[in-house]
Amino acid sequence: MRRFLFVFVCFFALLVPVGVLASGGEGGFDGVVRSIETQYHVHATRIPFLGLISFVSRKATHGGVSNLHVAEFEHFDAAMDGEELNRMVQQKLGAGWERMIRETRRNGAEQTLIFVHPEGARMGMFVLDADGHDLNVVQVSVDPDHLNESVGKYDRHEKSDKDDDKE
Amino acid sequence: MRMRGIGLRCAGVMLGAVLTAGGSLGMAQAAGSGSGSGMPEGLPLPPAVEKELAAKAVDVTEVTLGKNMLDFAAKFMKDKDEDEAKARKLIQGLKGIYVREYTFEKEGDYSMDQIKQLRAYFETSEWSPVVHEVERRKGAAAETTDVMVKTVNGETQGMFILSAEPKELSIVLILGPIRMDELGELRGIGGLHVLKDVEKSTKKAGKEKDKDGGAE
Repeated sequence: MRRFLFVFVCFFALLVPVGVLASGGEGGFDGVVRSIETQYHVHATRIPFLGLISFVSRKATHGGVSNLHVAEFEHFDAAMDGEELNRMVQQKLGAGWERMIRETRRNGAEQTLIFVHPEGARMGMFVLDADGHDLNVVQVSVDPDHLNESVGKYDRHEKSDKDDDKE
Repeated sequence: MRMRGIGLRCAGVMLGAVLTAGGSLGMAQAAGSGSGSGMPEGLPLPPAVEKELAAKAVDVTEVTLGKNMLDFAAKFMKDKDEDEAKARKLIQGLKGIYVREYTFEKEGDYSMDQIKQLRAYFETSEWSPVVHEVERRKGAAAETTDVMVKTVNGETQGMFILSAEPKELSIVLILGPIRMDELGELRGIGGLHVLKDVEKSTKKAGKEKDKDGGAE
């Protein structure tokens, strides 16, 4: 009986830190998505083959865009408290993330949040956009130098196309 | 009996230790994530006024570009293009750009007292007013534009722009070395289209000053 009580107490005691870690420990993109699911009783639509898409985008942009995460909440019409949403995102993303843009339209029915996080030569970008019907969350890591090169190529293509049209 | 006492005491000590560890872990997480130590300095305005305005506005836009983000934005500007090279040079020297735009449903949703409070916040020895323009239209509330400049050791180290229309309020704060004639370079940055009006106002003010000088 005593042994049973001892095991029970130890089991309960171990549950406490595990619970703390499980509830508040998950941060970053997944933490934000999980918090939105819990807070607004919705489920994110998973994009199939996102890992593959992220890999292709990384290769296609020569490392310009990588680490792509997307979560989509369809038919999201829950009433949102912009201040609370902002606080939750900020808390889940954690230190190092800076809010660059916060836009609220139609008395809070539409919300846009953009956070950035310097990662050495790269920049992590987190975008949350709610338009009153859907809520989309995207996280991506961008290398401005490589991305600029890729964008520059399209610039040159566009210019040469225009020159061809003139001729 | 003694063994039972030791067993229960051990269990009690373990439970206490684990609960304490769990509690402090949770607190550490909350402190670490909530403090936002990496956050740039917010718009140095009275927070109460900022909150009041945001609460009453239909649309709110807040742009906060700290030093990190400005350096990042500068990387997208090419040195080959003359205009972009100028903007890049300018941006790299700045410490921060803060924009707040509020759109209200009807006139009178913000008070002149709030505008006065915002102006008063910059009425220090370092900040001096450069432009104060009031435009009155028939049947509508007055539109005002204020530009204040921060001067340190004779050099401009900041600019505060407040543009108030009956249903719209725009606040721009630029920290770092900036000149009036360079404002146009920043127009491309989101939310800074208000600088176009400021450029006009400053040019108008300059001309009026010239006229007055000429008359004297």
